[in-house]
Amino acid sequence: MAELKRYRYLFEQMVRRELRQKYQGSALGVAWYIVNPLVLMGAYYLMFGVIFRFADHADYPLFLMVGLVVWIFFSQALVSCAPSLLDQGALIRKAPFPRETIPAAVVTVQMVTFLVVLGLVAVVTLAIRGTASPAILLLPVLLGALYAFALGLGLIVSILHAHFRDVAPILSAALLPWFFLSPIFFAPADITDRAAARFAMEWINPIAPFIEGIRRILYDGHAPSLTALAYIVVAATLALVAGRALFHRLQDELAVIV
Amino acid sequence: MTGAAGPLAAGEIVLDHASRAFSVRADRGGTLKELLLGKRSGGPAPIQALADVTLRIAPGQTVGIGGRNGAGKSSTLKVLAGIVPLDSGTVAYGGQLVSLLELGAGFGRDFSGRENILLGGALHGLDKAQIEAKLQDIVAFSELGDFIDVPVKTYSSGMYVRLGFAIAAHLDADVLLIDEVLAVGDEAFQRKCEARIAAQVGAGATLVLVSHDAALVERTCERVVVLDAGHVVFDGPSAAGMEYYHRQMGTPTASDVLASASHRAAGLTP
Repeated sequence: MAELKRYRYLFEQMVRRELRQKYQGSALGVAWYIVNPLVLMGAYYLMFGVIFRFADHADYPLFLMVGLVVWIFFSQALVSCAPSLLDQGALIRKAPFPRETIPAAVVTVQMVTFLVVLGLVAVVTLAIRGTASPAILLLPVLLGALYAFALGLGLIVSILHAHFRDVAPILSAALLPWFFLSPIFFAPADITDRAAARFAMEWINPIAPFIEGIRRILYDGHAPSLTALAYIVVAATLALVAGRALFHRLQDELAVIV
Repeated sequence: MTGAAGPLAAGEIVLDHASRAFSVRADRGGTLKELLLGKRSGGPAPIQALADVTLRIAPGQTVGIGGRNGAGKSSTLKVLAGIVPLDSGTVAYGGQLVSLLELGAGFGRDFSGRENILLGGALHGLDKAQIEAKLQDIVAFSELGDFIDVPVKTYSSGMYVRLGFAIAAHLDADVLLIDEVLAVGDEAFQRKCEARIAAQVGAGATLVLVSHDAALVERTCERVVVLDAGHVVFDGPSAAGMEYYHRQMGTPTASDVLASASHRAAGLTP
């Protein structure tokens, strides 16, 4: 821990560099991060709100949008963590700083972007649906847990990819079905009446409670159930503990393999 | 990274029965199977860079490391810097900061010299105030002038080295590890670097230098360690060490030259 505190400024530097590199030379800059989910939202609205109409939710575009921005943060964080240690190989070979700084900076940059976009989505959703309620005080807890969850998985993905270069393609392949199985453009109850299937969709998929919890606060104006909150906190803690443990176990040879 | 001998003085380095091998494979990432088995299969035999090396470097000492290409010199520096772990044995150093300088040391190419100075300091655990206190000195030493605020990708290789050296030599490291860098750059800058190193050593820093430049090693270092196949084959004063190194390389040593000159003078050589 003292070690991490000593390198706090390094972390700050890395986050700034990433942010700058990300938005450098792009005319719209951060606006792309709202345009992208908007385009997806439009497509899914057309598909599932107009053509198939199997999801019946009021203000369906807002329902979609909340889930989409959470998913985009989660998937982007993992996708950009995967090659991060290889990309920063020059730094790794230069000094023995704590290596988790690299994926942590990547996830943090995604989080910053996500918070800006979610802020816009939240304002519009609360205004149109009139769902402002005290439940919103729980939002920081959920977002903090989501950050820790993504960071834990990001540590795992980054260190595994440094050792086995096929982790990034496996990840991209896995994220697509994972997206369609996650309750983003539907709620589990829309899809099935079978208890077992609903249970799997709601609780076996670890990102589902995060999506539904945030949507429940912003779109429904209610607090998530205690079970959901407990699940979210436990999932975040487990991911972080497992991520750090695996990262520490596999990090020694980084300067040699990246 | 703690030695068995208890706390070390700042700048002291102790390698204790240190061994390290490197596997030479084109694909450096492994497979899942090899991870589970805990070993790698196939490919050429690993190269033993350090084989049961025990070495103690006193604080403030200046040590040159010699040896053939591939003898493990650069690897030794990486081990001393704490960047590459040992297979067995221990490495311990006293003090907070070890600074390693090598050719082509990674800069962010899209970032300015100034930003790279901040990052360079941060990589070694310095905070903002500590780095900013040194910033002026580093900029002045690098002689980059207005280029300091221009992305590093526009630098010439000489400017690149000047910036790298300026950063490494101004971190006030307890241990300064330098790999073959001083060979680059013009003579004026080389002399300036040597003076800077001497000042650092005078202030109590320990220097470990890897170089094929025998004259530089003799000028800069009091002690020479020659490595061969992972073993220390010579450890002693630098003049004798360089003789040993030249014999190993099959190049004429200073005394050989003198001897043959005196032979010629005496008319003994045909």
